[in-house]
Amino acid sequence: MGLLDATHAALRLLLSGDAQLWTIVGVSLSVTLRAMLIAMPVGIGCGYLLATLRFPGRRALIVLIQGLLASPTVVVGLLLYLLLSRQGIFGQLHLLFTQTAMVIGQVLIALPVLIAFSLAALQGADPRARETAVALGASASRVGWTMLVEVRFALMAAVCNAFGRVVSEIGCSLMVGGNIAGVTRNIPTAIALETSKGDFAQGIALGIVLLVVALGVNSAFAFFQGESRR
Amino acid sequence: MSLLAVAALAKSFGERRLLSIDALSLSAGEHYVLTGENGSGKSTLLRLLAGIEAADSGVGRFGKRRFDWCPYPDWLRREVIYVHQQPYLFHTSVAENIAYGLRARGVEASQRERLVAAAIAWARLDHLLRTPPQKLSGGERQRVALARAWVLAPKVLLLDEPTANLDAESRQQTIDLLRAFCGQASTAVIACHDRDMIALANMRRLHLVDGQIHQNSGAAP
Repeated sequence: MGLLDATHAALRLLLSGDAQLWTIVGVSLSVTLRAMLIAMPVGIGCGYLLATLRFPGRRALIVLIQGLLASPTVVVGLLLYLLLSRQGIFGQLHLLFTQTAMVIGQVLIALPVLIAFSLAALQGADPRARETAVALGASASRVGWTMLVEVRFALMAAVCNAFGRVVSEIGCSLMVGGNIAGVTRNIPTAIALETSKGDFAQGIALGIVLLVVALGVNSAFAFFQGESRR
Repeated sequence: MSLLAVAALAKSFGERRLLSIDALSLSAGEHYVLTGENGSGKSTLLRLLAGIEAADSGVGRFGKRRFDWCPYPDWLRREVIYVHQQPYLFHTSVAENIAYGLRARGVEASQRERLVAAAIAWARLDHLLRTPPQKLSGGERQRVALARAWVLAPKVLLLDEPTANLDAESRQQTIDLLRAFCGQASTAVIACHDRDMIALANMRRLHLVDGQIHQNSGAAP
C-alpha cells in the first residue's frame, strides 16, 4: 500500500468513527489529562518552593531535576515496572498493566518538566513583584499566588511542554501499560504496533489525531498569550 | 512625639558594613527627606524600615510597642508602606493594583470598591482604568503606585526617589500628589538627591554618611 492510499484509508477511518480507533484516542487523552491534573499542582508547587526556600542541597536538587528533564521515558517505565511488578515493593497493589500505572508513569515524566520550567519562570520574575506584594501586606500564601499569577504565561508554556512530552511518550506506557487493546493501548503504543504489523492506515490516522491534539493545545496557549498582549 | 524609632540597626553585604545606625526616630505627622551620596544606603535603609530587606540586628518601637527588628514583625507591615523608585504594577488592571493591599487586609468587597474609587479620583486615574498597567508611562505608574499606597492610609510612608527619571510634567503631578498624601498626617520619609529636593511642609532632613544617619532637628533648607 502506497503512502497516499494509506493516508486515504486513514482519513476514511477517522471520519467513519471507527470505534476501535476512538477508544485508543480516549485512553490516551484520559490517561494524559489525569496525569497532568496530578502533576500540575505538585510540579508548580515544588518549583515555587525551590524558587523561594533556601536549604542545604538545594543547588544539587535543581541540577538533579534539570538532569531528569532528559531522562528517557523507557527508563522511567523500567523503574516503575520493577516497583509495580509482583516482586516489587508495590507489587501488592496489582497496578501493573493498568491505566493507573500509566498515569503514575506520566506524572513522573511530567514532574521534572513542570518543576524546572516553573522554577525558571519564577527566578526570571521581576524581584520587585514579590517585594511589592510583601510591602502591601500580603500573607505568604497571597505572595505565592500573586507570583504564580504574574508568571502565568511562562507556567502555561511549562504545562504545554509537559503535556506534549507525556501525550506522545511511548516507552513508559508500553512498559507499565502493556498495550492491552481497549484498556491500556494509547495512541503512541498503537501506532508502533500497527506500523509493525504493516497496517499503516490506522497508524497514520492516530498520528493525525496526535498532531491535532498537540497543535490544538499549543494554539490555544498562543491564542491566550496573544489576547493578553493586545 | 516619636511614632517609629529604631536603634542599633545594622546591615552588611558580605564583608562590607553598609549601615550602622545607632538611633533614628520618626515623629508622627513629620516629613523627612533622606539624602546621601549614591551608594550610601538610602534605598537599603528604606527597605530595612519597610521589612523588605532583612536587617542583621536592630530593635524598634512603634508608638509604645517595642519589638525586635529581625525578624520584621508582620503587624508593622500594615502600618508602613514602601514605594519603589520605579514601582512595579501587577499584570492585572489599574483598579486591581489599587485594591491589592485592601484584599490582603481582608477589606470586604463593597467597602473595597468604594475605597478604590476614592483612590482613583484622588490620583486622577479615571482615564487610565482600561489601559493595561504595563502600557502606562513612568509618571502614570508612579501615580498608580501612590494611589495603591494612599488607599491603605499608612502611618509611615517610605518613598524611594519618587521623582527620579520623570519628565517635568509628571514630576510636578507626582509632587502635587505627595503634598496631598503627606498633608494627611502620615509620617513620610522620601529618599532623594539634593537637586530633586521636594519642598513639603514640616520637612526635616536625614543625611546618610558612612552608614550613619545625621538627624537634623531643623527644617530642611
